[in-house]
Amino acid sequence: MSEVAEAVRDGVLPGRVWLYANYHCNLACTYCLTESDPRAQRRELGEQRALAVARQAADLGFTALGVTGGEPFLLPYLPELLARLAAILPLVCLSNGTVLTERRLERLRPLAELPAAIQISLDRPEPQANDAMRGPENFRKVVDAIPRLVERGVRVRIATTVDAIDDEQRERLCSLHRRLGVPDADHVIRPIVRRGRAVDHDLGVDAGPADLPAELTITTDGAFWSPFGPTVHGGRLDTDLLITRTTMPLRVPAAALLRLVRARPPGTDAQLNIQ
Amino acid sequence: MTGVRLIRAEQAPLLARRYYARGDPGAIVAALAHVPEVLEVAMPFIATTLGASAIDARTKELVILRASARLGCRYCTQTHTLAASDTGMSRAEVAALRGEAPVDGAFGDPRELALLAWTDAVALGPGPVPPAVRAALLPHFEEPEVVELTLLVAATVMLNRFCTALELPTSSATLRRLAEEGWA
Repeated sequence: MSEVAEAVRDGVLPGRVWLYANYHCNLACTYCLTESDPRAQRRELGEQRALAVARQAADLGFTALGVTGGEPFLLPYLPELLARLAAILPLVCLSNGTVLTERRLERLRPLAELPAAIQISLDRPEPQANDAMRGPENFRKVVDAIPRLVERGVRVRIATTVDAIDDEQRERLCSLHRRLGVPDADHVIRPIVRRGRAVDHDLGVDAGPADLPAELTITTDGAFWSPFGPTVHGGRLDTDLLITRTTMPLRVPAAALLRLVRARPPGTDAQLNIQ
Repeated sequence: MTGVRLIRAEQAPLLARRYYARGDPGAIVAALAHVPEVLEVAMPFIATTLGASAIDARTKELVILRASARLGCRYCTQTHTLAASDTGMSRAEVAALRGEAPVDGAFGDPRELALLAWTDAVALGPGPVPPAVRAALLPHFEEPEVVELTLLVAATVMLNRFCTALELPTSSATLRRLAEEGWA
């Protein structure tokens, strides 16, 4: 058993490896960590590299994958790539849920038979409040897409990213996701992290390594501590949570991450329920 | 102006942070921090090769300053002008190492003159070190010293080219002291 596998088994290292599929997006959310929008540099990880990372992650003893961006579904090959990745390790793919056309949804049908979930962002129970941060028509497109995924047997998780949410609003949001076919267990509420565009809009909480799960995150720019690491501000990649520029072989950044995790003082595990 | 953006403390990658713990880590670290896995092996190597060791500081600075001046590295020449002075070298010796006067006028010890010739031959090449230069060096140094000093020349050349190509800025503290001591 590899050192990484032992660390994952013992809970020293989180089991999930994240892949930043791309950095561009059809939206321009006010709290976006990566300043993604339609004009952002694509910085695409690439299909073959994603598969290679996944295979090496499995070999090293990691237990799950995450795919994020940018909006991964802007990549034409994504549905088939997700199926191939999920055949290697259980997978969650983050999406804004607004580009799931009927054709793409059909191509996602194989995920129903695989350990895979699509995690869609939905922040508020009403269109106006939701779309204020995420852009026009976001709410309508999301509540349209979720049941169509669920109908096809694809597991959907909902991620709510907010500065604060009161009980009444949270209950309305939970009623909504239940109606859409998403159980409570697949709904996560997490704080806005004050990185990327959130800094410019004075949003969110500061988060460093002590606050963020040490999930190995692979991008075209290098390997980072947590998917909240490879953020962009002022058009420039943040390097404060960079681990190594080397991403392959994956054992190089994995070993460096493990060293960093083991060097942490006791009691500095993630605090902010950032997931 | 530099040829590469220097990583500031707030953007220091995780593996690089310890180099920033006591303030400005210098331009070499701030450049290498772009590639933290290289930084964390390069800096111990540089510190071991150029720092305190079995060979005395004067001998090592003689090599470093001479190679840096011959390679035309502004950053290393300025920085090691002070380091050489701090070993107790005379102003005439430092000036000669900087290329401002002939070394055989400032240095009289055959051991040091042999080492300077060795430094020139290793740093500037091309090709093998001339037999006469090798023959002049070997009576004065044991094999471990030859190995270490040759690696010192090579490491200095590496740093010379790195600092020159990336146009690394000499620290303001070094520039100030150079000016105060009339080296500007």
